[in-house]
Amino acid sequence: MPGIFVFSEDSALAKQLLTPALELKQQLSQPVTAVTTSEADAKELAALGADKVVVLQSTSGWTEGLSEAICGLVSGTGATIFLLGGTLRGKHVAAYVAAKLNSGMSTDAKSLKIEGGKLLSTRLLYAGLALCEEELTLPAVVTIPPRTFLPPNAAAKAGVIETVKAEADGRVTISDVTPHGGTGVDIAGVTKLVAVGRGLRKQEDLKLAEDLATALHAEIACSRPVAEDEHWLPIERYVGISGHTVKPELYLAVGISGQVQHMVGARESKVIAAVNNDEHAPIFEAADYGIVGDLYEVLPLLAAAVRKNGGR
Amino acid sequence: MNFQLTEEQRLIEQSAHDFAKEYLDPVVEQLDHTGDFPKAIIKELANHDFLGLHLPADVGGAGAGFVSYVAVIESLSRSCAAVASIMNNQAMVSYAIQHWGTEAQKKQYVQALVKGETIGAFAIYEHGPTPGIGPDALAATKRDGGYVLKGTKAYVRNAGEAGVYVAFAITDSAEPNALTAFVVDAKATGLKVGPKLNTMGLRGCPVAHVTFDNVSVPETAVLGAVKSGREIATRVLTLASVAEAAQTVGIGQAALEHAALYAKQRVQFGKPVATLQAVQTLLAEAATDCYLARLGLRSAAQLIEDAKPFETEAAIVKSFLARLGSKILVDTCQVEGGMGYSEAMPLPRLFRDIAGTTLLDAPADFPDYAIAASIA
Amino acid sequence: MPKCLVCYKWTLDEKDIKIKPEDLSLDTSRAKGKISDFDRNAIEEATRIVEQHGGTVHALTYGTSAVSESLKDVLSRGPETIYWISDNSAETADACVTANVLAAAVRKLESYDLILCGEGSSDLFNQQTAARLAALLGLPCITYVEKLSVEGDTVRATRKLADCTEVATVKGPVVLSVLGTINKPRIPSLKQVLGAAKKPKKEIKIADLGLNAEQLHPKSIHKTVKGFVAKRKTIIYREANAAANVGKLTSSLAAEGLL
Repeated sequence: MPGIFVFSEDSALAKQLLTPALELKQQLSQPVTAVTTSEADAKELAALGADKVVVLQSTSGWTEGLSEAICGLVSGTGATIFLLGGTLRGKHVAAYVAAKLNSGMSTDAKSLKIEGGKLLSTRLLYAGLALCEEELTLPAVVTIPPRTFLPPNAAAKAGVIETVKAEADGRVTISDVTPHGGTGVDIAGVTKLVAVGRGLRKQEDLKLAEDLATALHAEIACSRPVAEDEHWLPIERYVGISGHTVKPELYLAVGISGQVQHMVGARESKVIAAVNNDEHAPIFEAADYGIVGDLYEVLPLLAAAVRKNGGR
Repeated sequence: MNFQLTEEQRLIEQSAHDFAKEYLDPVVEQLDHTGDFPKAIIKELANHDFLGLHLPADVGGAGAGFVSYVAVIESLSRSCAAVASIMNNQAMVSYAIQHWGTEAQKKQYVQALVKGETIGAFAIYEHGPTPGIGPDALAATKRDGGYVLKGTKAYVRNAGEAGVYVAFAITDSAEPNALTAFVVDAKATGLKVGPKLNTMGLRGCPVAHVTFDNVSVPETAVLGAVKSGREIATRVLTLASVAEAAQTVGIGQAALEHAALYAKQRVQFGKPVATLQAVQTLLAEAATDCYLARLGLRSAAQLIEDAKPFETEAAIVKSFLARLGSKILVDTCQVEGGMGYSEAMPLPRLFRDIAGTTLLDAPADFPDYAIAASIA
Repeated sequence: MPKCLVCYKWTLDEKDIKIKPEDLSLDTSRAKGKISDFDRNAIEEATRIVEQHGGTVHALTYGTSAVSESLKDVLSRGPETIYWISDNSAETADACVTANVLAAAVRKLESYDLILCGEGSSDLFNQQTAARLAALLGLPCITYVEKLSVEGDTVRATRKLADCTEVATVKGPVVLSVLGTINKPRIPSLKQVLGAAKKPKKEIKIADLGLNAEQLHPKSIHKTVKGFVAKRKTIIYREANAAANVGKLTSSLAAEGLL
């Protein structure tokens, strides 16, 4: 029987995928199969509502190298819809499988539903300028970014788990796996962010932003140049079209001009505020509140005012 | 009749635009403040083949035509007209030597100018009313198989940085109109460059008076034929004036775009000022002037490229811009109001720069004289 | 002496696209064409590799009739030959069709050591072409490459992922997608621009690729496209006195329940 498949090498994301998968199950009356390489994840996925969980056992730890194996599994049973976690690894596997299935693929879908026997997804186009409704014939492949959905609640009955041996692509050798470093903070999971940009003249000036962040009980984030060009902050803190997308309650952008490539990552925040000394900075059109002024003068005053206000 | 750039011309313009964004935008303000000659940028211009744009491949040039040349000058001027001035003055010298020079002169100077290893300066003007007349006019006296140059050339651009000067002198005081062009090495004994002038705009392109204190040059330093210098000067200056028109349009376009952006963002009485009719009129007129001037100058450039007569058309373009070039800046400054008046904004610099492109090289009334003479 | 093929897309410059205020539809009438940003990096990377090791760089593109504007632009950036496919099907082609067409073209051309793409196109950013091509051609695939080197017939690529970098090594033909951070594309010199006219531009007719109607039929379409317009309060405090502005902002943030 054809089914709905989900896969992510990222544990949390794999669980999040079950939510739209279970929704699709309702709409299509087809079972949900979760594919995983982790036995630990398998138990949780089964408990959260996957009808079946298939654990791929392979000597290789390289996710992308399992593309062919995953494809075989999915096409063997017959997939109507294949949801993959939208990490870079996930997108690689997804596109590979889509080609083999000769199916369409929607990348970074913000939403999905079945309508008229087709899959309707929404995603961004033109570097965030536009939102598009994409209609795909079935079978279809979709990648979903982290934190688009919350994981489902525990299911009444846990699904079955089976293990299958998988052959990895032996042509590619992986070595020198080096984590990026950074503090392991996940800025996408934080309620308040103080983001810094090129308005900061030197690395030491980060202190001003950090002090304000402390007063606000916020985390620090930044625009691309601060992380990628200046290396003043690790890339785990960079918000933008090729960085993180965040949806905090408060996004306070300091010394950030507000170009689309950056704002795309922050524009779903509940409240956006900005401090910039350029009256014409585009960010003032994309913010709820703002101060035109010199951040070197404003930030200490703001930190003091926030503290006086009690801070929360 | 095709009013669009060809594919090659468009790609050349694109390269110039990308070059300006990469190399000129980051330093234009600094350059305006210090007026320091941007050696590194000139090297990069050479690396990207801009200095030899108009010259044939066998001397290391790119062999592109005059339309491409003005498109490049305009693109560069949108970011930094001072650098465009340096390039244009360089081109005046390399063009003159390539066209009228002996094989020896071409060999000695053209490639070096194309590579940016030598800077060139065109020394035509004097303190007197016209070259050849006045107490300090540059005179060349024949002596011992060469000439001795004595006099002063005024407002020489690229002076001081130049390794070679093309200087125009009278050889016969009875014929002050008969100028002779000389190629003079900057290291020649007696060649003294005066202090750099503190100019209103186009800062970064050095301007100074150059005194020739009994500078001896060999016979072989004559460029072209003796007493044919006026013909050389006229032709080079007319070509340069079309290029300067491109500078004017480039600066005007930059001002227009900045003012338009400002008008969209500046909100007064609840609406962007771009919705006010007064502002719309100012922007519309500036846009009209830039568009028409560009069409005119490219049409004149095409005539030059096709080796057709162009002097009247060049004068028309020059006259049009002499009247309207500064108006574009006056109006765009008006759009930006108090905010635009601040030196932290680009408009004041553009205002000063555009004056340099319309004031220099030919007084405003001269083109009208030339146009009228061709009609009536 | 690697033989490189770069697949590129001629896209509309998204900076020129305007949103019509009446219905939020997109106005692309003034949008100029450009080489997709990361494809430009791919062209530059292939050019650098061949400058270092010898070999050749060819370019391949599939698009509407607009692709004819791209040929000299691409040839001025390093490739020595360009293969182009111009067809109306490109107007609605999705990633599936695009990959089918490109793969069929690659099978017709010589065998390449490296096939490079940008990580995604600057207009739609589907990020699918490289992996799809590899699947269809039966080749290994290394995506999201920020550093590339070639040693004999071995390709060594450093990939940049969200949490780590890793080195992927492969012998023999491989499909790669590159990140924008892999290099800084050079500004073509005028001689390169003018030299592009002399380089071969070879058209491949889609009818000669042996694809059936199904392979040219898109599996996904854009049903609706609407411009994103921020609806923010835009309450901006611009007093001369910074303390006054700070006071107002603090009150606003408190009123929003954020303090």
